[in-house]
Amino acid sequence: MTLDTDIADLLPRMRRFARALTYHREDADDLVQVAVERALVRQRQWEPGTRLDSWIFRIVKNAWVDEVRSRMRRDRIFAPAEEGATVGDDSAATDQQRLAIRKAIGMLSEEHRLVVALVLVDGMPYKEAAEVLEIPIGTLTSRLARAREALQGLLSDQAKVGK
Amino acid sequence: MTFSDEVLMAYADGELAGPERSAVERAMHEDPAVAEAIARHRQLRGDVFAAFADVLDEPVPVPLRQAVQPKVAGLEAARVARSGQGTRAQGDWWRWGGMAASLVVGILVGIGGWQAYRQDGGTASLVAAAGGVLAQGKLADALSRELAGSPAADASVRIGVTFQARDGNYCRSFALAGAAGLACREGDAWRVAVLQQQAPAAQPAYRQAGVAMPPAVLEAIDERIAGTALDAAGERAARERGWRR
Repeated sequence: MTLDTDIADLLPRMRRFARALTYHREDADDLVQVAVERALVRQRQWEPGTRLDSWIFRIVKNAWVDEVRSRMRRDRIFAPAEEGATVGDDSAATDQQRLAIRKAIGMLSEEHRLVVALVLVDGMPYKEAAEVLEIPIGTLTSRLARAREALQGLLSDQAKVGK
Repeated sequence: MTFSDEVLMAYADGELAGPERSAVERAMHEDPAVAEAIARHRQLRGDVFAAFADVLDEPVPVPLRQAVQPKVAGLEAARVARSGQGTRAQGDWWRWGGMAASLVVGILVGIGGWQAYRQDGGTASLVAAAGGVLAQGKLADALSRELAGSPAADASVRIGVTFQARDGNYCRSFALAGAAGLACREGDAWRVAVLQQQAPAAQPAYRQAGVAMPPAVLEAIDERIAGTALDAAGERAARERGWRR
């Protein structure tokens, strides 16, 4: 049952990826839980020798897409203020910077948030990120470029509002 | 030479190699605008990474760690819950096995167990079905035909106890080379509720001595059994009804 152990080793990265996708800690852990359960049920679909992380992240991504759909049905609203209480005890400036970035990522479109979460948050190479998203690498590159642009725009807007 | 923003971004992300990479590096030294664009991409990358870096250092919540091994954790919980209920009904209905000291190698439950066991060879086969694992081949045959008291001489599967579960369906424990488990009747099939590996050293004994049921199997029986195990006559009668209630 080494696959279980390997999945367990991936949990921190899955949580970070999920955190970038969902913004809320509880939602993120729910998402990881759903993904782990799916992965275990489908473990025969994983081909040994291929990257387990790409496979698992693809399951997280798909679970997230499903979850977003159901969440839209529930008409839940995005409430960024709440995360403030859970950020560590670093200096206020670092906190603000982190919060601003997390908040901006939360405001991106789903498409953009996914590429940002994979490439910038997780640090996945383009090739693997494209595999996770099941898109050609050229699509990934242009999507990532637009996502970065959007993110820069949001961050500079926030900076203006903050002043 | 001008580069698209995408190329500069790819350079900042460490995705360029060979001549393309060298060309961007040259341009970076010659054109401040190129250097600035790359710096901006790197800055954003670093900032976004830093904004989530601490998540990796957080302890993984217990429910998530348990989710990786849901069945085993559930079994532990059941055991703990039961130990709080005072004396456990250790009726001698399962103590007929002669080999108490079977070493538990690992608990194989559900899909995981099925997958691990399948590699063991053709003695018995299990097949994954919606929501569980069904017995096939020799295992299914033995579950349907064999009686605990009079096993076929060449039986590769030994039947342990037979009982009616709380939902009325028949369940039977079984042992085969290197593993023991519990299967319950579901329609015309036997669904394997639990399968636990046993040390190979225990194998030579079981032919003579019967089957020692490993803890996970006992737990599974405890969870399901209504009343007591069937005696030989009851077992025979149940078989003649085709394992219908």
